[in-house]
Amino acid sequence: MGIGKSQSLIVCVLVTAASAAVPLVGRLTTGSQIMRQAWMPYALAGVLGIIAAGLFFLLIGARLDGDVHRLRHYVQSFQDRDGPPVRCPPRRYFRALGSAIEQSMSLMHQRVEQLTSQRRELEIQVRVTDAERQHAEAILQSISDAVLVTDAFNELAMANDAAAGALRFELDGARHQPIDRIVRDPTLVKLVKDTREAGNLVNRRHVEHALGVNGQKHIYDVTLACLGNTQSEVAGVVTILHDITREKQISEMKSDFVSSVSHELRTPLSSIKAYVEMLVDGEAPDEETRTEFYNIIQGETNRLSRLIDNILNISRIESGVVKIQREHVALPAVVKEVIDVMQPQARAKNIELDEQTSPLYYQIYADKDMIYQALLNLVGNAIKYTPEGGKVHVDTLVNDHSRTVTVNVNDSGVGVPAEAMPHLFEKFYRVADHKKMAKGTGLGLNLVKHIVETVHGGKVAVTSAVGKGSTFSFTLPISDGTA
Amino acid sequence: MEPQATGKPLVLVADDEAHILHVVSLKLRNAGYEVLTAHDGEEAMELALQHHPALVITDFQMPFMTGLELCVKLKQTESTRDIPAIMLTARGFAMAEDDLNPTNIAAVLSKPFSPRDVLAKVQELIEHQAGNPA
Repeated sequence: MGIGKSQSLIVCVLVTAASAAVPLVGRLTTGSQIMRQAWMPYALAGVLGIIAAGLFFLLIGARLDGDVHRLRHYVQSFQDRDGPPVRCPPRRYFRALGSAIEQSMSLMHQRVEQLTSQRRELEIQVRVTDAERQHAEAILQSISDAVLVTDAFNELAMANDAAAGALRFELDGARHQPIDRIVRDPTLVKLVKDTREAGNLVNRRHVEHALGVNGQKHIYDVTLACLGNTQSEVAGVVTILHDITREKQISEMKSDFVSSVSHELRTPLSSIKAYVEMLVDGEAPDEETRTEFYNIIQGETNRLSRLIDNILNISRIESGVVKIQREHVALPAVVKEVIDVMQPQARAKNIELDEQTSPLYYQIYADKDMIYQALLNLVGNAIKYTPEGGKVHVDTLVNDHSRTVTVNVNDSGVGVPAEAMPHLFEKFYRVADHKKMAKGTGLGLNLVKHIVETVHGGKVAVTSAVGKGSTFSFTLPISDGTA
Repeated sequence: MEPQATGKPLVLVADDEAHILHVVSLKLRNAGYEVLTAHDGEEAMELALQHHPALVITDFQMPFMTGLELCVKLKQTESTRDIPAIMLTARGFAMAEDDLNPTNIAAVLSKPFSPRDVLAKVQELIEHQAGNPA
């Protein structure tokens, strides 16, 4: 119940009045002329009135003051946020005001509670949306294709690392940037913008596009699709870049292969067709010429057949379809078999064909037929490209240290020119200078390479000098018996 | 075109495949032509310069100089400029207009070819030449 300023003033007035009144009363009681004045009772009444009024105001003021103070305290208590709403304290004079304040305060408190709970809900929603967005981004990141998501204003909404790498921009700070500021390729930007404009929510667009990445050219299959929102309006565009560079390369290689193969097949076929036609047209009047023609036709037919076999074998090995039958093979036996088979051909050219195999006992774990074929090709080549009276020698060397065996086929033939060396084992490759010397499919060495390296994990090698001869070798791991 | 000593028109055939060379030569000789053979582009060029054939038949794929290169060279050289050529090739589709322009290639026949067709073409071209002496 404090004493306010107005109350102090009133007290002062009362004290002054009282101090004026006291001597006045004193004088009055001693009887004087003043008392007999006509205004005396009015004066007395006036002073008493002031005193009474003063006392009245003091009392009321104190009470009013108290109520106001309590009300103020009550209102101030709402500043304390966490505190529960307190009931308005009892008051005497400000009933209506007090109730009004109480109601307002209660309402406001309810509103605050409502807003607080709404805010909490929104916070939860934001967290959920954030989590969903992070989830979507994680999914995006896990996709190896480059993915770009742009919004209805052609600004970047989302992108993954693959996109940043392929299109060379920084992911940080890229969001909400206009697409033409991020992607430097004008064709791509135009594609995105055009797709957005077209606004086709149903169909996707596929385009092939080449980009230079890190100095290399990559070819992409670009898919563009419009994203729709719940009102079926265009909300953005998703652009996916799928790298098909390798596929295109393989496709080109296949195309080249088919082209080479058909060209190679046409050559023996041309001979067969031409000679058959000659026979049909009676261009071979005598038996000798006819026999010559028949032999040529037969020879070329065989050549065609061998060519097709070789191509199929290589093709099967390359595509992993070939059936490999591995067993423990004694290499010296295979060498001897090949030498025996090739001996007649060697003799026909007066070539000395012999072998020297290591006396050590060892075995290789391999497909016997394939190794036989590889060795046959090498010895066949050696004989083919060695002039009359030359030598062909086959030997095997065991390397205990590396647990391998190397087979060397050495000839005293024409040798390989330096510029042909890197290409020897390529498909269809034939040394230009030697084309006259012997017939060949250009696939023999390729087959050897595949058999030794692709199927058996070995290595082929060649050393040669023009006019001095060549040594073709292959190395295979020795089996330790346990397969 | 200079008449040969035998009076028969001379045809130069170039191909690195011995069998093809043999069968084309035989067909033409049986039909009354004189035939010279070459196994590569360089040999063919030399023979053409030396003997001035009435016609050249060449394969495309040959060592040292391809058939196309040979024909370009023939057209560029004064003495062989007017000799018409027939190209035999397994890669017939690869011959473009632009490739043939700087040559005198009058026909491209694809392999496998028919010797009959070759003879017919040879006769057509040589007769045409005979009708318009150089």
